[in-house]
Amino acid sequence: MSNPMEMRERKGLTRIDRRGRREDIFSITCLLASGIAVVILVTLLSTIVARGAGSLNTQFLMGVHLENQPEMSGISQALVGSLVLLLICGAVALPIGIGTAVYLEEFSTSNRWLQRWRGLVQLNINNLAGIPSIVYGILGVTAFVYMFGMFKPIQVNQVPQFEVGANYFYQLKTLELPELDIPGQFVYFPASDPDLAFRTITEPIDVYDRQGLKLKLNVLDPDQPLPNVASQLTTSVMRGTVASRFVRFNRGHFHLPLGRSILAAGLTLALVILPVVIIVSQQAIRSVPDSLRDAALGLGATRWQMVYRTVLPTALPGIMTGAILSMSRAIGEAAPVIAVMGGVLATSRNLATMMDSSPSLPSTIYKWSLHHHIAYDRLAAAAIIVLLVTLLLMNLIAILIRHFYEKRLELL
Amino acid sequence: MSTEIVNPNPGSSESTPETRASAITIHGFNAYYGDFQVLRDIDLEVPEKQVMAFIGPSGCGKSTMLRWINRMNDSIQNARAVGELCLINQNVLTAKTDVVELRRKVGMVFQTPNPFPKSIYENVAFGPRLHFKISKSSLDQLVEWSLRKAALWDEVKDRLNRSALQLSRGQQQRLCIARAIAVGPEVLLMDEPCSSLDPGSTSRIEDLIFELAAQFTIVIVTHNMQQASRCSNRTAFFYEGTIVEVGDTKQLFTRPKMKRTEAYVTGKFG
Repeated sequence: MSNPMEMRERKGLTRIDRRGRREDIFSITCLLASGIAVVILVTLLSTIVARGAGSLNTQFLMGVHLENQPEMSGISQALVGSLVLLLICGAVALPIGIGTAVYLEEFSTSNRWLQRWRGLVQLNINNLAGIPSIVYGILGVTAFVYMFGMFKPIQVNQVPQFEVGANYFYQLKTLELPELDIPGQFVYFPASDPDLAFRTITEPIDVYDRQGLKLKLNVLDPDQPLPNVASQLTTSVMRGTVASRFVRFNRGHFHLPLGRSILAAGLTLALVILPVVIIVSQQAIRSVPDSLRDAALGLGATRWQMVYRTVLPTALPGIMTGAILSMSRAIGEAAPVIAVMGGVLATSRNLATMMDSSPSLPSTIYKWSLHHHIAYDRLAAAAIIVLLVTLLLMNLIAILIRHFYEKRLELL
Repeated sequence: MSTEIVNPNPGSSESTPETRASAITIHGFNAYYGDFQVLRDIDLEVPEKQVMAFIGPSGCGKSTMLRWINRMNDSIQNARAVGELCLINQNVLTAKTDVVELRRKVGMVFQTPNPFPKSIYENVAFGPRLHFKISKSSLDQLVEWSLRKAALWDEVKDRLNRSALQLSRGQQQRLCIARAIAVGPEVLLMDEPCSSLDPGSTSRIEDLIFELAAQFTIVIVTHNMQQASRCSNRTAFFYEGTIVEVGDTKQLFTRPKMKRTEAYVTGKFG
């Protein structure tokens, strides 16, 4: 109280005091602003945990989405879908992104046209990083799902124009005699023209049974008496029987255009994160000191050897950190995935090939939170928890990688 | 002032006791950055297995000269050079020069120690791995030989697999020398190799330079005149893009022929 400084402050006399007060106001405002952000975040997280934690159980993690059975539904397909999306996205975006960054940073040129080209690429990358992901979704639909209309669109019950890894058969059932308890068997024969959905049997042909054994298919006329031997009966059909087309996909099933497949969605996600991967890699490469480049070149390294043996290993922690952070952006993207694959909630074929569509975590969350059955809301909250934990883990890995490399460079 | 600057014929300095073959012959050499001429009509011979020092004030072009010998200036966008720069009777300035092979023959040590962020062993093995297919055991031998040559072996033999960044700066610079000689060069270029080192490390490197001269031709750029006088056989004094004087180091420092040389070596300018 008797402190003269304090007396002066109360009167508000000196400029220094006023300056101090302004500083106080400023720092309190900043504190409040940061406080609001934290409060909102904590509220959001606690609401979600409160809502979703009850649904987090093995049933939820192992199950698939079942319509109108929220208590039995789960996210296993969405988890697998998100993982596969991430793998495709990483396998495409990382090599292209790092390659572009290396080209832009390391391969300077005196050619005027190449310099302009580089300038154009750089300008585009800087602008593309800020484009909303739904725009990429639309691009993905045009570029991958329909491939600019260069091919016949994928339609139900139609064979795509360009396709590998699909075996077309016709399937038919042989005669049966329920009274004698003799069941018919399914037999198959390869389709010479897969475009025809049906074929009428008029001639005896070679067919294969379920075990893949070759057998001769007899054709009986309606006025002919049925054979009474079971082995003959189950290798015969009536003339005019219709065989229907049947397709079996190999693991490597692929068709063009890509259609609403997980491959198309993964490629679209790769487009979303590509600019970020390039920019982050460029920064990492730029942070490698020129003295190391000089050292490698001075020892007689070619430009490629310099990049491969010196620049990239030194920039690797930065590149990997950036890569993981962009991957964690990719795993959370809902808009492009829904635009490409449509918000599928479950598939019957469990993602057997890259040409299947699949649910993913964000699209499942989106669909569930809009579901008319209110109980799916809790499942959406639980799925958000899973997604957040995944993101947290990925960021943790990024931090650990950086830490590990920094340690290794120091100590080795 | 510029009237004083003439090009003495390097062959005319009689004070060299023995005539040696020249490792590097430079004749009518001009270097430019864009339109700016850095070096003008350079004529110089660097004798084999001796130490040649380039001295001169900042910006006189001595580093540029050095970096043209192994074409390190190639990576500078608008740098170009015309004239003759022969390494053992082969002009290295032609477009068809194999720059990779040239740099194997002409090693370089830079101003600041620049070891790779790898282990000590990997640093030395880097160059040989680029150029030769080599077995593990002979690579081990080569690494040991190089480190011994660079007077570093005894200090690091127990921690070859530790990071080179843990070494002191003086040790790092000797590691860079070991790395440069591991590819078996004929010429070693040193661009102010001691300018970022403490006096103790500097004197170790100077001793090393003297020892290495038995086997390699060494060209060293230095700002430190004592260093030039201590560890070189011949000295070239650069000034404003030309060579003012070149001669036996002892002679150049004690009885310089040119007034400007005398002014520089006695510390009147520069």
